[in-house]
Amino acid sequence: MTRAVAVTLALSLLGEGDIVVAADGAISREAYRARDRRRSFYILGSMGQVASIALGLAMTRPERIVALDGDGNLLMGFGGLAMVGGVKPANLYHLVLDNGCYATTGGQPALSRVVDLAAAAVGAGYLWGRRCLSDEHVRAAMESWLAAKGPALLDLVVDAEEPDPAPRVPMTPEEMAERVRAALTGN
Amino acid sequence: MSASRRLDALLEAGVGFVAGVPCSYLKKLFAGCAELPAGCFLPAVREDHAVAACAGAWLGGRRAMAAMQNSGLGYCLEVLTSLHLMYRIPLPMVVSDRGAPTDYEEHRILGQSTRRLLDLFGIPWREARPGAHEAESRWLIEASEHERTPAVLLVGKEADV
Repeated sequence: MTRAVAVTLALSLLGEGDIVVAADGAISREAYRARDRRRSFYILGSMGQVASIALGLAMTRPERIVALDGDGNLLMGFGGLAMVGGVKPANLYHLVLDNGCYATTGGQPALSRVVDLAAAAVGAGYLWGRRCLSDEHVRAAMESWLAAKGPALLDLVVDAEEPDPAPRVPMTPEEMAERVRAALTGN
Repeated sequence: MSASRRLDALLEAGVGFVAGVPCSYLKKLFAGCAELPAGCFLPAVREDHAVAACAGAWLGGRRAMAAMQNSGLGYCLEVLTSLHLMYRIPLPMVVSDRGAPTDYEEHRILGQSTRRLLDLFGIPWREARPGAHEAESRWLIEASEHERTPAVLLVGKEADV
């Protein structure tokens, strides 16, 4: 399964009230193309901070927070797993789109090929962590993940190649932040 | 009343969420943070994660503040520039003022560059004085929110009230 298809499927399973935090780079662009939402925050830069930004939201909001992360991104901010596992926000759902490499910069291999991210999450204190390797089980794996008690992490192995790259999100960073905050606070 | 008059003043000024990594110069402030209600204090594992969590809390509608040693500013630079400054997210920061010539070696290089570093990125800062914590807290919130930027209060050991 391509990462873009997996992102599209994940977004189709979410409700209107859910808040999405999408990782910098291709994941944000694919999330925007698949289903833009007022409650989606697109990260540009700040690699490694998806879990931390999602945690700040999870601690201050009652809604479900869905973090769409990358494997290289998560590895860069590995301490974020410890913070989520330590705080244990029941409303934080972490999806890793794991292509085993740094696709944006030329496909250089990432340590996720040997490091078990789901086991690391559980070791850090997440209440649920699974790895999904097979395309035919993706939908069931996502449904189990979203039905689990949070914090929950699903490490979804996806293709390294992306045949149809998504364009950049046509909003300014300020608009991206304003829109989410306004949707959540009503002003 | 918490263990820290400075924290009390910051809460009075509207702070509703704190994330940070402790410094021995900020013992009272962190003692006060530990007493905050659940969901209001995040003990972060590194300073960049603290400021990123503050951005999330701000998106969620809270006034979120970071607290750290000035050595942590190095870890924070990527997030301060590509998240807070670029998205225009306010961030009041209480940062310890280490690095005097009498301080330990490991604090000196970044400590003695702290003000120039903040100036380089256009981040407003002010030095805290003992007894001025109420006015300083109001300044910190106003400076961060008016320009929607990180703003820094540099706190020496004697100003951790």
